[in-house]
Amino acid sequence: MDKFKEIIRQYPFLGFVIAFIILMLVPSVFFTDLYQSHLASLICINIIVAAGLNIVKGFCGQVTVGHVGIYAVGSYTAGCMFLYLGSGLWLTLPAAILIAGLFGVAFAIPSFRLEGPYLALATLGGGEAIRLFIENGDFFMSTYGISNIPQPEIFGVPFDTPDKYYYIAMPIMLMAIYFSFSVLRSSVGRAFMAVREDPISAAASGINVKKHKMLAFVLSAMFAGGAGAVYAHLPPGYIHPNNYTVIEMVTFLAMVVFGGLGHIWGGIIGAIIITIVYDLTRPLYEYQLFIFGLTIVLTILFMPKGIGGFIDKYFIDRRFKTKTGAASK
Amino acid sequence: MLLKTKKLMKAFGGLKAINKVDFELPANEIRGIIGPNGSGKSTFFNLVSGVYEPDPGSYIEFDGNDITNEPPHKVGELGLARTFQLLRLYQDMSVINNVMSGYHTLVPYSFIDAVTGRKKIWDQEKTIKEEMMELLSFVGLADYAELNASELSGGQRRLLVLARAIAGKPKLLMLDEPAAGLSPVNVDNLMKILMRLKEKYGLTLIIIEHILKVVMDTCSKVTVLDHGEKIAEGTPTQIKDDNAVIEAYLGKKMDDEEMRKALAV
Repeated sequence: MDKFKEIIRQYPFLGFVIAFIILMLVPSVFFTDLYQSHLASLICINIIVAAGLNIVKGFCGQVTVGHVGIYAVGSYTAGCMFLYLGSGLWLTLPAAILIAGLFGVAFAIPSFRLEGPYLALATLGGGEAIRLFIENGDFFMSTYGISNIPQPEIFGVPFDTPDKYYYIAMPIMLMAIYFSFSVLRSSVGRAFMAVREDPISAAASGINVKKHKMLAFVLSAMFAGGAGAVYAHLPPGYIHPNNYTVIEMVTFLAMVVFGGLGHIWGGIIGAIIITIVYDLTRPLYEYQLFIFGLTIVLTILFMPKGIGGFIDKYFIDRRFKTKTGAASK
Repeated sequence: MLLKTKKLMKAFGGLKAINKVDFELPANEIRGIIGPNGSGKSTFFNLVSGVYEPDPGSYIEFDGNDITNEPPHKVGELGLARTFQLLRLYQDMSVINNVMSGYHTLVPYSFIDAVTGRKKIWDQEKTIKEEMMELLSFVGLADYAELNASELSGGQRRLLVLARAIAGKPKLLMLDEPAAGLSPVNVDNLMKILMRLKEKYGLTLIIIEHILKVVMDTCSKVTVLDHGEKIAEGTPTQIKDDNAVIEAYLGKKMDDEEMRKALAV
């Protein structure tokens, strides 16, 4: 087992190939109806957003509540490109990532001067402004929403039903996770953490604080934008400004906080659990904001590092014990 | 000269925290800076390392580069490392990650390499980690590498801060009260480690310290600040007998017996 772990550590790409094969088989083994496939695709999309949010919030420590706005930018880039240019996912996805990245730059600028709750307010304003702009613009089909956004085809095979669309969303999610892992495990990820912990001493170590804040915002915006585009094309291909409200933002935040802020697996674990819970509590629509708000508060109070922190603690304690045990012999 | 300041000035409102300080430090020296609380020692560090911007007319040169108005990370890149009086450890990061982030400027791969996650990066990361583990065992923290920095004791934290500052292989290391709050045994231990690190990495050192024993024993030259001005500079023995210094900082002139007692702290 240790040898296997070592191989995966050496060739992280191999780990993702294995994960890909397993996830390809999941639907045929476990899923009994289309709705479960739909939910699986949604989980994939939310994992992308949460992985991105974990970069900026968990690792770089910048509180942003405007990510749902960037997610909307991704969706509406895809929607409008379909509406006016007739483009499919393979064109709208890179475009959405690019444009969302630009919005990430805009969201990063306030972080140079603001911190904590003040930055949260600024980004909240930014996110809401984007939603209101979309809601009131005829160009974006305002309150009607954009419908019939088509699903992609590969070699003439359409992926137009929820069970098939899963095979589009899942590889994109794996790619996103791969990129986020690569960044976070490298010196860039360490620099993000250093900026989070103490910007002044990070700068003294030669880390460019502004550059890394910008990087974190842009990277995570690209994740959110990509996820937005995948969401726009999700069957039945309908997007509406109401899907990008503060409730969604709180859900995204709950994913990252519950999974474990600053834990490399944090957003992913959280996204899976919270998406399922979100779906199960759909009948209690009016209480959802309350439920997820409460989840965040309770997690921060009793499990400040989320589920990921628990796992970490267990492993580190064990490693430490074996090490000192060996030393005392 | 490795570090040179000319007419260094910084005023906070009406208070002249640093007033026209000329300072010169050749390579390989250990320089002590002493002075009463509020005399501008830490401000001097903050000005040199770029945390504060000096007032117009000041000039700071490090290793041949004008760093007067450079941001702190630029100064850090040039090879000037420092520690802080309040430590400023990365509390919520593991000990090894603390040290590895000190290595940031020397990391050989680019951002694009990092995003694509190529295999060569993990090899390089492994080398970096091994090198940093060596540094940790040098300061005696290797067993704690995977613990969070917040779980270390006060003395261990001071060692970690030292290791983090040295990780980037600086030319000049500025230590802001490295021994504050340590017991006498730990002070000796810290200074021993510091001297060994200096030999190993060929460091030049500036030390702010209130424990006079440390300054008198280790520094080849001492600069004394008072009210933002340099009031004396010389070897420890010269400083000990300087009237201005005695008045401002040491309190009164002591004979040898008294001095021995005072220094034995």
